Amino acid sequence: MRRYVTNPMIIKELRQRLRERRSWLLPTLYLIVLSGIVVCVYYFSTDTGRRLRGAEVQGADIGQAIFLAVVFAQIIVLLLMGPVFSSGAITIEREQRTLAGLLTSLLTAPQVWWGKFVAALLYLLLLLASAIPLLALPFAFGGVEPLDLVKALGSIILTLACICAIGLWCSATFRRSVHATASCYAIVLVLTIVTAITFGMLYAHWQQSHPGASGPPAHIQAPLFLNPLYPLLTLIDDNDFRFFVYPVSSWLMFAGVGCLAAALAMRRLQRSGEQL
Amino acid sequence: MIEIDTLRKSYRKSRGLDGFSLHLESNELVGLVGPNGAGKTTLIKILATLLPADSGSVRVSGHDVSVDPMAVRASLGYLPDVAGIYQDMRIGEFLEFFADAFRLKEPQRTAAIERALERAGLADRRNDFVEHLSLGWKQRLLLSKVLLHEPKLLLLDEPATGLDPLARIRLREQLRRLHAEGLVILISSHILSDLEDICTRIVFIAEGKNVQEAQTAALAAGARAPAIRCELEFEGPRDAVDRAITGFAGARILERKEGFLLIELPGSSQDASAFLRTVLAAGITILHFDARGPGLEERYRRAFGEHTP
Repeated sequence: MRRYVTNPMIIKELRQRLRERRSWLLPTLYLIVLSGIVVCVYYFSTDTGRRLRGAEVQGADIGQAIFLAVVFAQIIVLLLMGPVFSSGAITIEREQRTLAGLLTSLLTAPQVWWGKFVAALLYLLLLLASAIPLLALPFAFGGVEPLDLVKALGSIILTLACICAIGLWCSATFRRSVHATASCYAIVLVLTIVTAITFGMLYAHWQQSHPGASGPPAHIQAPLFLNPLYPLLTLIDDNDFRFFVYPVSSWLMFAGVGCLAAALAMRRLQRSGEQL
Repeated sequence: MIEIDTLRKSYRKSRGLDGFSLHLESNELVGLVGPNGAGKTTLIKILATLLPADSGSVRVSGHDVSVDPMAVRASLGYLPDVAGIYQDMRIGEFLEFFADAFRLKEPQRTAAIERALERAGLADRRNDFVEHLSLGWKQRLLLSKVLLHEPKLLLLDEPATGLDPLARIRLREQLRRLHAEGLVILISSHILSDLEDICTRIVFIAEGKNVQEAQTAALAAGARAPAIRCELEFEGPRDAVDRAITGFAGARILERKEGFLLIELPGSSQDASAFLRTVLAAGITILHFDARGPGLEERYRRAFGEHTP
């Protein structure tokens, strides 16, 4: 176990990553985008509140609006960045002809995978952590509980870990970074868009056969369990979203898919000698 | 050190190795020679635990590569044909990473890194980025990297590719020095003059099979050959030459062209000198006489004449 904690791959990967220009450019852009979203949400929620209810604008409403906006913006932006950091991790070693050196050292395929995985995830977590002050802002307005913050961060971290594992599987499977990245984005697209469309179709069909029913049952929601946004819907305190109450199923699905992707990536990595 | 028995490896559309066998003893520096696609890289990759064999057995330092790959990796250093290098790392960091990857513990780790820097001649450039090194220096760094954990066996696949003549000379000297230190080296190369210069044995491979095994000059010098082959280029009447040859006991003409004869003589180089004196005494003008036997290039041509496109 100690070998996985003191894995030289992690140090190497982080050292190389933090030397890139994008390592400081991306967090800067990321925070600018999120700050812009916070300003816009604050402006619209106070402005809309004023127009709808006169001068009375509830602080809790502003707090929840900012919180949800930041959480959803973070997951969307990080879902777009996840494949960039993970799906090129192994292919770049192949393209630069350095993979043979790793595979003939005393590092095992799981250790190589773990180093790549931790480095990719840690960088995404750095972005996530850099936005914690923005996530803490809603507490000044109220309407958000600390448990909501824990649930949101936990869900995002689990989803990102799964995306990183999928990205590494793509990276171990394809020879070229461009193919691996494109495949990983396709998978992210399937998870976010295709699952939502599938759910929409199932829900529409179900509503026709169950007129007047209060909300979709678990089996109709099932496609959404693999949607990264689904567990975050439980944070929304709104009547339209009160039926989406199975975040644990979704987390289990992500954990399962992540573990499967990890196992397949390690297996692929072990057999990558022919591609060198 | 290496025991390979009837090794077979197939790819989807081709056969990499087809019953190849090889035994390497301690203190050997063996050159692996063959045309493109002969199976050299496949063989080296199997030895380096990068590829699994379909059948046959491979043991390195007593360990089966398929059963105990980690023990095999601990005992060998592998330099691929096009070895990549982390351009964005400092030279010291590069060596530190591989020292950790080979699980070297302090104080051996620091000592190994210092030794590698000295071996590569980069002790004063430890903090330079790898990308600032020339190809020759990078190759030296890579060679030092594969020696970090003090392997007993070195596998080199086309190590001189892309190197300038000076870098090639330095590489040859370094390999000779490592061999003198007791390292067993298996080197695959198309640069036959380099191999002839440093190898103690040449192994020929074609279509995944052993073709011929030959001792190079370095080893042959110590052994008394039962017969010697001489190349003779001459000017003058052929009859006189024929008479001189038939007059020399045991001499036999193997090949005859216009003004050229390949002759086999019994005995050693002293007998070749005696033969030369006989031919000169017959009044024949000698343009060229070579009693060293065919060089590696000639042997390669004979071995692979029909295999090369």
